[in-house]
Amino acid sequence: MLPALSSRLPHALVALLGGLALVSSGCRSGDPSSQRPPDLQGGVPVGAVLALTGNANLYGQDQRLGLNLALEAINARGGIGGTPLRLNVEDGGSDEPGASAAMTLQIRRGMLAVIGPTLSQQAFAADPIAQRLGVPVVAPSNTATGIPQIGSFISRVSAQSSVIAPLSIAKALQLQPSIRRAAVFYAQDDAYSTAETGIFQKALTARGLKPVTVQRTQLADNDFQSQISATLALKPDLIVLSLQAVDGGNLVRQLRELGYRGTIVVGNGMNTPNIYPICQKYCDGLLIAQAYSPELNTAANRAFVQAFRANQARSGRGPTIPPQLTAQAYTALQVVAEALQRLNQRTPLATLSLARARSNLMDEILAGTYDTPLGEIRFTAEGEVIQKDFFVAQVRMKPDGRSGSFTLLL
Amino acid sequence: MQDLIQLLLNGLSTGAVYALFALGYTLVFSVLGVINFAHGAVFTLGAYFTYLLIGGAVGANGLLAGWQLPFALPFWLALPLAGIAAGGVALVIERIAFAPLRRRSADPLLALITSLGAGVVLVNLIQLLVGAESYAIPTGALAGLPAAIGVLGAQVRSVQLLLLAVATLLLAALSFWIDGTRSGKALQAVSEDAITARLLGIPSDRLIAIAFGLSGVLAGIAGGLVALSVSIAGPYFGIGYGLKGLGVLVLGGLGSIPGAVLGGLIIGLAEACVPAAWSGYRDVVAYGFLFVMLLVRPQGLLGRVLPTKV
Repeated sequence: MLPALSSRLPHALVALLGGLALVSSGCRSGDPSSQRPPDLQGGVPVGAVLALTGNANLYGQDQRLGLNLALEAINARGGIGGTPLRLNVEDGGSDEPGASAAMTLQIRRGMLAVIGPTLSQQAFAADPIAQRLGVPVVAPSNTATGIPQIGSFISRVSAQSSVIAPLSIAKALQLQPSIRRAAVFYAQDDAYSTAETGIFQKALTARGLKPVTVQRTQLADNDFQSQISATLALKPDLIVLSLQAVDGGNLVRQLRELGYRGTIVVGNGMNTPNIYPICQKYCDGLLIAQAYSPELNTAANRAFVQAFRANQARSGRGPTIPPQLTAQAYTALQVVAEALQRLNQRTPLATLSLARARSNLMDEILAGTYDTPLGEIRFTAEGEVIQKDFFVAQVRMKPDGRSGSFTLLL
Repeated sequence: MQDLIQLLLNGLSTGAVYALFALGYTLVFSVLGVINFAHGAVFTLGAYFTYLLIGGAVGANGLLAGWQLPFALPFWLALPLAGIAAGGVALVIERIAFAPLRRRSADPLLALITSLGAGVVLVNLIQLLVGAESYAIPTGALAGLPAAIGVLGAQVRSVQLLLLAVATLLLAALSFWIDGTRSGKALQAVSEDAITARLLGIPSDRLIAIAFGLSGVLAGIAGGLVALSVSIAGPYFGIGYGLKGLGVLVLGGLGSIPGAVLGGLIIGLAEACVPAAWSGYRDVVAYGFLFVMLLVRPQGLLGRVLPTKV
């Protein structure tokens, strides 16, 4: 019980300070600091709000790496018109108050745009703050329905679940046409999970596989014995999970330990190599639809993969195949940097007020076409990503059960 | 019949985890009459100690990134050692957060706050040193045991049965120590009235320190076993268990050691009885049950009603 307080106290303090800062600086229209030019001392300021602590920390760490790689690449090419890009990362924890507090702080610090927050659930709480204050947000990993619809300053590079999720169901049925009975698990206290399971269930029903059971869990759950025995009694041959990495990894392990041998399809929440240490050898065979493949043969992706591998070799740790979340975070910063570059060429940033620079930046973000590790992407007027390439991969674990890879299925 | 056995096994295996956690909680309460809020942090430490002792390496974050011990112990040896190390930490907590207040005869409520502070420091220290990522004990740590065992047609994971066995064993050992040994009886005297016990020549402070140390050992072993079962989700690993443990403590009867085990098993069984379609609401059922029990029997299942002396 105590660590709950420990995790919240700093966020509560940040929220309080952030709130006071906001109150003292006034709202968007009356904020005197936003009428001054952006502070370009030390670089062009771009913020990020990532889940670096709490149960979504695994995602935040993948994302931080992606942002750092993008930052290196952008600044190696001369930054924004000769001024380096300055990235300010703030830990938003894994909950809504943490993300809202971090978002408020980033805005108060004069960031031109903010990348994040990590979870859809957090975005629904934090993005309205940015929208109200006219600060562009590029979401690197929010896949729930309704994110860009939060407002005109909100966009995302992460394709929504409704586009990606059904692909893995189709692939599972293609690989195993005899599948007749599907079971579904999702975390009912998580916006991403509830949104994605709806899409999975619709896709299953459309293929004549109305789930024989829908099991609701919670993000903090880690013992699934009861739900699993209830499910296995119904003899499913396909189990579909919309869970995050830690709870999902534990569920996969327990499913296999309790004797389930059928196909398992997992959603975007488990789209990270960080599941390997949790489900270990039992991760083998998981099917997942992805918005990124390391095998995509484009110049942008080759450069990204090379930079990722060089970084991993330098640090002597971690996987050598970039996770999707890393690629998406890289893409988000690339999008912001290219839009800033264009904006700066049109009107030097130093001549604009912070409010005008933010507003014009949002227009530039939406207007551009970007050659990224995800392939070519652009945006709808609403801020929804338009992406060409999607993939289905299968997890293949090495015999030691400690490392593995997402192998592309053709 | 098979469904009933499955339900019982599910409930008992979940309840064993709660019981194991609550044993240490209740031991300290039975002596000092206060709840040690740092217990969850010690439980978490036990999990990390076990992971490191079996040769696990620290991940990419934290000050100790990439670090690992130069040796790797088998799980069965690492677990008690982790328990002893956690017991050592619990002793330090007792010296820092409880003993100074006790010497000043401060309100026991203050110890609640100092233990809360000690727990916050511990959890943040873990995060600083080993990062916030998840760690898991290799699935082969229980070499020789199958992943699951069939009992009259029902299936249960071996590690869950191990948890149940360890909880039962520790309950028996603890009960024997308290009721069957001189030092255990002396501890009971201290828990009745520490000052009178001291006047009678019983070394109260030493016995209190022993109770804390034992409580830490129990928390450490519980943490290591739970980590084996479900992985370590990060430094905040003990959050949920801390809350449930408190519920178990109250349901079983504050300060009652058999009550802690009974309370844990009852909450586990109550959760297992939740229909599959409502499985996401297990906590509501468990705490609702606790609420009703407290209305009917405020002293808990095996707690005593202390007469008020005027």
